[in-house]
Amino acid sequence: MREPWPLVALRSSAMRALRDPGPLAVSLGFYAIVATVLATLWRIAATAHGGAIVGYSSAQFVWYIYTSEAAVSALNPRQIELTGDDIASGAVAVELLRPASVVGMRIASELGRSLPRLFACIATGAVLATLSAGAAPRPAAALLAVPSLVLAVACNLAAQHAFAGAAFWIRDARSTWFLYQKLVFILGGMLMPLQVLPGWLHALAGALPFMAMAYAPARLASGHLDPQLLVVQLAWLAVLAGAAAAVFGAGERRLQVVGG
Amino acid sequence: MPTVLRTAAAEARANQGAFWTQVAAMAINDIVWVIFWVLFFHRVGTLRGWDRSRVLLLFAVLTTGGGLVLGVTANARRIGQLITDGGIDAALALPVSPLPYLLARRVDAVNLGDFVFGLGLFALAGGPTPERTLVYVIGSLAAAVVLGSFLVIVGSLSFLAGRSEAGDLGFHAIILLSSYPVDIFGGVTKLVLYTAVPAAFVAAVPARLVNHFDPLLALALLTVAATFGMGAWTVFTLGLRRYTSSAIWTRA
Repeated sequence: MREPWPLVALRSSAMRALRDPGPLAVSLGFYAIVATVLATLWRIAATAHGGAIVGYSSAQFVWYIYTSEAAVSALNPRQIELTGDDIASGAVAVELLRPASVVGMRIASELGRSLPRLFACIATGAVLATLSAGAAPRPAAALLAVPSLVLAVACNLAAQHAFAGAAFWIRDARSTWFLYQKLVFILGGMLMPLQVLPGWLHALAGALPFMAMAYAPARLASGHLDPQLLVVQLAWLAVLAGAAAAVFGAGERRLQVVGG
Repeated sequence: MPTVLRTAAAEARANQGAFWTQVAAMAINDIVWVIFWVLFFHRVGTLRGWDRSRVLLLFAVLTTGGGLVLGVTANARRIGQLITDGGIDAALALPVSPLPYLLARRVDAVNLGDFVFGLGLFALAGGPTPERTLVYVIGSLAAAVVLGSFLVIVGSLSFLAGRSEAGDLGFHAIILLSSYPVDIFGGVTKLVLYTAVPAAFVAAVPARLVNHFDPLLALALLTVAATFGMGAWTVFTLGLRRYTSSAIWTRA
């Protein structure tokens, strides 16, 4: 039986990423620096604040930040810009010739490219977090954080493609990646647990899909055994993948490419 | 060189709509960081002598100096890529010094948003008086020299190492480390921030001078800026002697 096209795209992208260790090393180095700095900030703050802030101890903050950063560092931050450029330039037209969904192939391919980075970040983060704060606060919850991280990356990719699909209409989606990324930083809980936000903002962030992209796995890794977070992520993945498919479907019907 | 800069600015402004959208996008991006720090200090109060107003001043200096370097001399962070892609070849054929030409050749609208944001943040949260404003302006300029020089130095490593990710990593590291209160770090890390990766001189030291002017610290900042400036020139010039082109003719 033939392997489905998206699976082929996923596997070949993962292989390509592994064969080119330069960018992988840069992402990993950057992840280690960013996560260590932010984890240090929260660790020191919690210690100076009597040992805990909003129910998170110093050690829990450290595990939270290394995990939330891994969820975001595994992705190309400018994916929206790259996808938007491909749409605006008409490069995406060639992909319409394949007997497979354009957005499905793109998400699968990016997922394949991200997974080696994600697992490298998980390994590095686990070592650094253990060195600075001791073992994971609750190993069972930390184990659940691994599939949750994969779901977080998938949710993020689906949402980025839904955002980038705007380029079918506005032609220039370049600047939107800044804004999208910052929504993940604050409302997604990458920089801090959602509990740090004021009550109304916490409630709002909890109802938005960005929480599935960083907060959910980080909450698990910080020792909160909430398996329902995985169910929430799966639900958001279905919604976001559906939205991306709908945006691309509508966009492909109106795509006009000039030249050859 | 002013002509090169004018041309680069005209190119950046060619698409007025995109130019202002990009400037606004970066300003909004910066506002998110301000929100982060406001939320952080709302929960934490003070941390090792740092509070909300002190961090906002640090952020104003960083975005002003960083916006100047990455906006007006946008090629500073692309030196390594220009070297490996043959992007400096066109500059070598011109009767001008290649490094200043390359730096002035590209203006990036996105990062000009940082510059504008920095000015606005200082005006709103920096408590501007004539004295503080003078220190802020000179401090931001010195910070820009330190940052730009550091980027040229790490980018020029590509002369020796060929395709290298050191430039990218150096860029991200110095920007990130500059944007946090330097006193949260200790030991060797703090030493590194004042020496090899001079993040402390890109934001924390100029911000401290605005609040508490100290002639010795000001002298140290200017000395570091001059040292890194000369270092960048020397490393680039020495590297250029080894350069053998990539045989790709491009526009620098």
